[in-house]
Amino acid sequence: MEKRLIKKDALVGIAKKMAEELTVWAPVKKEDNVLFTPLTKDAEPFFAYLNSKNAPKQVFFPHTETLMKYTRTPKGMVFSAEENKAGKTVLFGVRPCDAHSFVLLDMLFDQEKYKDQYYITKRNNTTVITLACAEPPYATCFCTSVDGEPVSADGADIVLTDIGSEYLAEFITPKGEKLAKYFGETKADAVAETKKKEIAEKAKKAIKSKIPAHEVKPILDNNFEHPFWATIHGKCLACGTCTYMCPTCHCFDISDEAKASDGVRIRSWDSCMFPLFTKETSGHNPRISQKERWRQRVMHKFKYYVDNFNAIACVGCGRCVMSCPVNIDIRKIIEDISKL
Amino acid sequence: MMSNNPYIPMPVTITKIINEVDTNDIKTFRLTFQNKEDEQKFKYLPGQFAELSIFGKGESPIGIASSPTEPGYVEFTVQKAGVIVPGLVTAALHDLEEGAEIGMRGPLGKSWPIEFLEKKNIVVVGGGFAFTTLRSLINYMLHKDNRKRFGEITVVYGARNPGLLLYKNELAAWEKRDDIKTNITVDKGNESWKGREGFVPNVCKEVAPSPKNTVAVICGPPIMIKFTLPVFYDLKFAKENILTSLEMRMKCGIGKCGRCNVGFKYVCSDGPVFSMAELEELPRDF
Repeated sequence: MEKRLIKKDALVGIAKKMAEELTVWAPVKKEDNVLFTPLTKDAEPFFAYLNSKNAPKQVFFPHTETLMKYTRTPKGMVFSAEENKAGKTVLFGVRPCDAHSFVLLDMLFDQEKYKDQYYITKRNNTTVITLACAEPPYATCFCTSVDGEPVSADGADIVLTDIGSEYLAEFITPKGEKLAKYFGETKADAVAETKKKEIAEKAKKAIKSKIPAHEVKPILDNNFEHPFWATIHGKCLACGTCTYMCPTCHCFDISDEAKASDGVRIRSWDSCMFPLFTKETSGHNPRISQKERWRQRVMHKFKYYVDNFNAIACVGCGRCVMSCPVNIDIRKIIEDISKL
Repeated sequence: MMSNNPYIPMPVTITKIINEVDTNDIKTFRLTFQNKEDEQKFKYLPGQFAELSIFGKGESPIGIASSPTEPGYVEFTVQKAGVIVPGLVTAALHDLEEGAEIGMRGPLGKSWPIEFLEKKNIVVVGGGFAFTTLRSLINYMLHKDNRKRFGEITVVYGARNPGLLLYKNELAAWEKRDDIKTNITVDKGNESWKGREGFVPNVCKEVAPSPKNTVAVICGPPIMIKFTLPVFYDLKFAKENILTSLEMRMKCGIGKCGRCNVGFKYVCSDGPVFSMAELEELPRDF
């Protein structure tokens, strides 16, 4: 594997250099938040960040996306799929938990039978550069409980690790190696590798928040009707912030927007927290209250995804914990379930 | 990107509209392919569904009511849904006339398990509007090339009143055939009704099909299902041999948008057809 060392102050320059030729999404400071944003002359990358407010899943799975366009003509309806115009893209400086989410989303969007071309095209066109967490950023980080690590190559094409004086750049995939030219010529030595291993071990130990994510699976298998489900949702506002922030939430709506003879069919993020999500035209709603919706959210992440793909659909980023306006904490829910 | 993109519908033309019921809110739409390639690609079996597109309104998942033994077109029987707020797509579809152009995406979902049904006696039980994919199955089995692949075929079909029975001409034709036993019933008849009166579960009890080498295929409103299932359990039908089809709100139809799951199964791609044995393994989330 190709490994190089780069000076710490060189990172911003590398990202900006890439942005001259490619579409580069990087963390950018906007007021009090850091958001993944395409770099432009006015958008400076900011790598001294903890984690971004928004999950970078939006690069492959935008909030709103055109699936197709249609035009009514005298000869009939003409419709065409929306082409991906982004071209070669780099996602620069993603945290390992978020890079892990891409691996989980691939399982859903890139299945054998139905391939989601919109997601897959953008995913294939994008090189993921992970910025490892040499020091876990938040007390709410729990990646190590859900098959992640603060220094990890999962889902990454290139991994950058802060080893003190420099960054160690590891080129994990051929896609990553193609970008090696931007990273200077200094080969990494064995000392750098040893240092990285030490940092990875230390970072792993620094993750103090732990949840029994694997242990709850057999309990969830048998407790769909448990009275516990009536205890989570009491204060939930059904705002959908948790699903909006979540790097693995992928539920979407499809709707049409028409103006005169032209129209588009779009898909937009949707949320299992919303009453309309499952409400049928007849008026029947199988998930009639926030109780059933919460059960669905927990089950989907910690049971159904495991049943279908053998993976937990949570990366332990802690965004839902930090952003919930009424302090509902998924860590406590999983902890409580483990004691049922 | 058009090819193999499961989100893109194929253009079809409405070539025939049949008003099925007295209440004028259920119509059968015959759709003809505009492109020959689409017709060849659209290979379906009874029990599958498709997403019908009205451009500017959206899509609706509807079971296929025609049989693949009828080439050249696909039929859907659609109820104008919603009482207080009309369904966006179904209401718009009901406003269309013959010659209109719509979109169709599919076929989607799993069909009735034809191979499993082969060489067995089939009891088809339907109630009200939920007879569309059952009609597809019956017409498929009755086709001259297929009839000998199946044993005895018994149908129990009921509606609230005679005016609400679907496919009246076909029902009459089946009643004249000797290779299908047709039991049509209404909850309450009228002056001109000469047929049977009675609820579907009671008629099933009277008909009392033997469970031996027999599969029951049951679709209907929840209340009918609730009282019909015990009849078949009493007749000693195994849960593996009772099949039904579920409905849930759907969008993508291909197991990605995340709303139609019952437990870890997606009704759109793992169903909509399930056996009672399979449903017993799933939570009551529908």
